[in-house]
Amino acid sequence: MKKIHWIILGVLFVITLGFEFTTLADYDSHWWNAIPAFYAIFGFVCCVAIVYVAKFIAKNIVNRDINYYD
Amino acid sequence: MIEFLTIPGVILIVGALVLPLIPEKLRPSVFLLFPIAALFMVFTRPDGFSVTTELLNYELVLMQVDSLSRVFGIIFAITAFVAGVYAYHMKELGQQSNALLYAGSALGVTFAGDLLTLIIYWELMAVSSTWLIWARRTKESDGAGMRYLIYHVLGGGLLLAGILWHLATTGSLAVETIAQEYSIANVLMLLGVCVNAAVIPLHTWLADAYPKATITGAVFMSAFTTKSAVYVLIRMFPGWEVLIWFGAAMAIYGVLYAVICKDIREILAYHIISQVGFMVCGIGIGTEMALNGATAHAYSHILYKSLLFMGTGAVLYAAGTSKMIHLGGLFKKMPYTFGLYMVGALSISGIPLFNGFISKGMTISAAGYVGNEAAMLLLLAASVGTWLSVGLKLPYYTWFDKTDNDIELKKLPVNMYIAMGIAAFACIFYGLFPGALYAYLPFEVDYQPYTIYHLVEVMQITLLTFLGFWLLKKKMAPELITALDVDWFYRKAAPATRLIFVQKVDAFYDRVEDGILATAGYLTKKFRNPMLWLNPFTDEKNEASNYSPAMDVVMSFILLGFLVFALIYFI
Repeated sequence: MKKIHWIILGVLFVITLGFEFTTLADYDSHWWNAIPAFYAIFGFVCCVAIVYVAKFIAKNIVNRDINYYD
Repeated sequence: MIEFLTIPGVILIVGALVLPLIPEKLRPSVFLLFPIAALFMVFTRPDGFSVTTELLNYELVLMQVDSLSRVFGIIFAITAFVAGVYAYHMKELGQQSNALLYAGSALGVTFAGDLLTLIIYWELMAVSSTWLIWARRTKESDGAGMRYLIYHVLGGGLLLAGILWHLATTGSLAVETIAQEYSIANVLMLLGVCVNAAVIPLHTWLADAYPKATITGAVFMSAFTTKSAVYVLIRMFPGWEVLIWFGAAMAIYGVLYAVICKDIREILAYHIISQVGFMVCGIGIGTEMALNGATAHAYSHILYKSLLFMGTGAVLYAAGTSKMIHLGGLFKKMPYTFGLYMVGALSISGIPLFNGFISKGMTISAAGYVGNEAAMLLLLAASVGTWLSVGLKLPYYTWFDKTDNDIELKKLPVNMYIAMGIAAFACIFYGLFPGALYAYLPFEVDYQPYTIYHLVEVMQITLLTFLGFWLLKKKMAPELITALDVDWFYRKAAPATRLIFVQKVDAFYDRVEDGILATAGYLTKKFRNPMLWLNPFTDEKNEASNYSPAMDVVMSFILLGFLVFALIYFI
């Protein structure tokens, strides 16, 4: 990842935030719409949670040697 | 009779029978004619069209067309064609014939108007697809194919038992909506269908067999078995609440395993479970919008999932391995495959302008509209996992990570690129023009995917998941592992099961046999001359002249005694 890629992603993110705070201010069909940038937080937290939960399950329960069933 | 031959499923099955008569060089081209003919028939038959016949006292509805069966029929026929193009270079008759038979049976299920017709196609599907696993001809695929077959015979048996029970109690064989009532017949049928839909914990056949199927076979398999089961669920079990939670659980379970697994085709196999979870959840919600969402998602899913399996199949074809640990750094050598794969990956992740966006959002929004926010958040979390594993982890560790890879690559046949190109085009086409798909959905569509809210939601999730992946990607680095799943219970239990049900029973029969033989031998020996033990005074030859004088005296006294007694008695 070059610097320019990060800048593009950053700009895109700022644009989504811009839309959220201007166009969607009155949107209230779900409780979480009251939280600013909820979907960004949700995406990041879920991503981290999935990685760690999967890692935990893998390490402690399901991972075996490749020839386990042979 | 002619009408019978115009049924789309029958066209492909006839094709499977005709293929062996075609010269090898022409066979791949002739293969493609049958899906085209079937597609033509699907498009031209109007709503309400049916073909019926009498069998014993039952009226069988061999084909019945409505908007739901048509949309599934269209995508099944298209996929059979695209997968046929992908397999154009492959000359193996068994695989070609069975692939057509498999696609034909899936189409047969889609248009079956009665349950007997449905179960026949259902079983045909199981048998023909097993061939596509065994055709890989490795030790692993032999075992996986057998487990797959046993699982599906069990599922088919459950479904058949349910159908017969249903027939006995209601007298109806129609494929129709069943009210949510947990009677034995209904539960048996639901379980039978859930086996094919890979609903957890009945899903292990899928993750076990698909990665071990042949390169071209997996493309067919990714489309038909689970999606024909989704079709039957939409048709028969819409609004069964239990499906909401099983669906959501499948969506999460699939992505967790996709993060754990280190084989690119295994990741995709687990993702089928996750994606079918979205559909099952929508079917459980059961509103018109949710059923539309499930149908649309099945349609989109077949397109992008076959594209993904074609992409990973191409890597396996070229590199000879699908283990991530041996891959990486292939971008310079396989840039087009990467590009085409990414179209599928962006589609499955529901990125705007691709077809996953127009169908996944519909299912998630349907959960929101009925106020089921828990299901909605679970499905959103599953979308995060999808993007994380299929959109980021898999391509990163296959095409990037290392700067180069000295693995020797085989050149890909052109037809593989063409097939991937067609599927990629369809993914983008439906993403840009959702109306082209919405027009064919079973209910009228009142849903707009391209709203600012929806775009903000998806883009924020996507961007921040990317950030999360970049920070934690080392945690998902490739290793050589086997990830256990609930199939452990029957795979590891196999020796114990064999011991109890085969070896112990065998040993018991052996012991009984020995006992019987020994008894028979003993009795034969004893009864050869019963006088030996009836009369202890006799010898082996049992001759009167050999009696001893003492014996003569005793016998004479006994006889005399009898005589005296008889005389006294009668006088």
